[in-house]
Amino acid sequence: MVDWYQKLAESAETGTPPAASMMVSGACVELTQAFDVLPLYPEVNALQLAIRRQSLEPILAAEEFGYASDNCAYVKADIGAYFKGITPTGSPLPKPALVLCNFVGCNTYVKWFEHVSVIMEAPLYVLDVPFLRAGEPSADAIAYVVRQLKELVVKLEEITGKQLDMDKLREAVWCSSQVEEYWSKIKHLARRSPSPFDAYFDAITLMGPLYVHRATREGVAFFKQALEELELKAELDREAGVRERFRLVFEGPPPYPHFRAFRDMFAKWNACAVASTYSTVGGLWEFGARHDPDNPFESIALHMIEHNVTNRNMQQRNEQIKRYVEEWDADGVIIHFVKSCRLFSAGQGDMREYFSRTLGVPTLYVESDLADPRYFSTAQLQTRVDAYFEALEMHKSARTSAHVG
Amino acid sequence: MRFAAGVDVGSTQTKAAIVEQNAGPVAFAIVDTGASVTRAAENAFNVACREASLQPADVGFVVGTGYGRYKIAFGNAQMTEISCHARGAHALFPNTRTVIDMGGQDSKAISVDDNGHVLDFVMNDKCAAGTGRFLANAAEVLGLGLAEFGALSAKATHPVKITTVCTVFVESDILSYLALGKKPEDIVRGVHLAIAKRTVSLARRVPLEPSVTLTGGVSRNEGMVAALEEVLGVPLQVSPQAHFAGALGAALHALDRVDASFESGVWRTAV
Repeated sequence: MVDWYQKLAESAETGTPPAASMMVSGACVELTQAFDVLPLYPEVNALQLAIRRQSLEPILAAEEFGYASDNCAYVKADIGAYFKGITPTGSPLPKPALVLCNFVGCNTYVKWFEHVSVIMEAPLYVLDVPFLRAGEPSADAIAYVVRQLKELVVKLEEITGKQLDMDKLREAVWCSSQVEEYWSKIKHLARRSPSPFDAYFDAITLMGPLYVHRATREGVAFFKQALEELELKAELDREAGVRERFRLVFEGPPPYPHFRAFRDMFAKWNACAVASTYSTVGGLWEFGARHDPDNPFESIALHMIEHNVTNRNMQQRNEQIKRYVEEWDADGVIIHFVKSCRLFSAGQGDMREYFSRTLGVPTLYVESDLADPRYFSTAQLQTRVDAYFEALEMHKSARTSAHVG
Repeated sequence: MRFAAGVDVGSTQTKAAIVEQNAGPVAFAIVDTGASVTRAAENAFNVACREASLQPADVGFVVGTGYGRYKIAFGNAQMTEISCHARGAHALFPNTRTVIDMGGQDSKAISVDDNGHVLDFVMNDKCAAGTGRFLANAAEVLGLGLAEFGALSAKATHPVKITTVCTVFVESDILSYLALGKKPEDIVRGVHLAIAKRTVSLARRVPLEPSVTLTGGVSRNEGMVAALEEVLGVPLQVSPQAHFAGALGAALHALDRVDASFESGVWRTAV
């Protein structure tokens, strides 16, 4: 990630290579990579500011400018940081050569990128991705996205002055398929007990490289090494008799401004996330989907429509969590509701009822925010988390007694 | 003899309970929490010991609960008020399946099994709406003491409609109704009904199954009890010790941990 920010700083200073602002969800980074265009993710900048405890100042600046207090905190952190001249690392960020809104499932994203386009005086291209309302995407939906991707190729050719090199595109798509294979294997390591890593809090540290380096040879090497190291750790943990006390599935992004405090609330109980939906925002690959170098445009379109959690419907998200609970052998589900994100958080009350009442899976619902530090109340969250584990402990011991009996 | 204690440090008041093995509760105490959580916990515990004619060292295990649970210097363990209210309510009414706890700064609904174990719970979010603090603010605006405020509710004939459950904005609602010449009792009843609706809506997010037991400091407000019963459509179980349910539950959890090898003073070293 340091390398990526360094490249962005070089781009800011020299204009080369050009950068394109994109959304993490359903990013078509393979296409930009084929043109040597750097991905620039406003969401990543916002969360980097938040986890470094620098998000409040830009959020307040955006509110002074007129953004409402309940607008998306990512938007305010990103826009406010531009107004205040703040960047996550202190090094400059480039002016994008293209503002590419590649995900429209959240209408806030469209407005966000329209604002970025106006503020940065950069051309905007909105790639309209049909929402996956049920089942699999239709052939028309795929063709619709492919046609827009080909329009995008023309834009990228204009910006870079290069013709599309199909071999280079296939190479980028192949790299993504390899990274997805390694990442999927890493995710499946968490099915072991003990899990060699936390598939929420640790997975987050691997998500940045996934967005930034997925379509590159460096990305392939990085995830190959990550898999090897985690396989070794799994073996060492098993030999050492390490045990996690509770296995959990997490839904929703973390409260980045209080990331450590939130993590410690679960670590205190020796609880480990074995799966999370948030780690599939950039791509849902643990169930078998891959980019296909033989069908680059179609597989990029499928990734954008179907293989990322944000473009899927609520029932599919519930089904995804249910599979994690069953196949990753989890004790319970934690839902983190994000106050400033109505779109992704809407329906989580029903989700809580579905898991706790219909399926009988102990489910905790907590609220704060992903980038605005003001919504986090340590004492209140601690009480909810502690109470959840106290009940889970009794639930587990009662189940064990019943089984023994 | 085997004694155990629970100390419930709430935002407004600190409660202590002492229970004896095979005998049940032997003493309760209550003090204002004030600025020092640690001192309030000590005071409540000492008062309960005196009430039970015990020396602090006679108590085998102390569980702290409430928002100040980690500040109790002499506690042997901490548990959340959710687990403790569930256990305390079950001890007071063994048929309890839903607990509604209304405290100074939070309100919660807890679904419990037939052993008093927590099955599910929901709490108000980072806002004092629907809590004792809301009622205290409303009473203050009307110039009433809390006891008067609760009792006055029964005299209402045409309760007003309070449109906010915000602890801050309720003040302007009340002042508007006073300016319109509405009777204080109708305003008070309106306040109770507004809070009751919010609380029942919260409680419906857990399986709201009978029998429903009310705990926490607000349980002493008869106007609130009546409003909750009206909105719920079922009678509430309210014990004279409802205010101490958290401390009682904590004491019962503590009693579970009193070891057979207990000797006076072994568990606790300082009070």
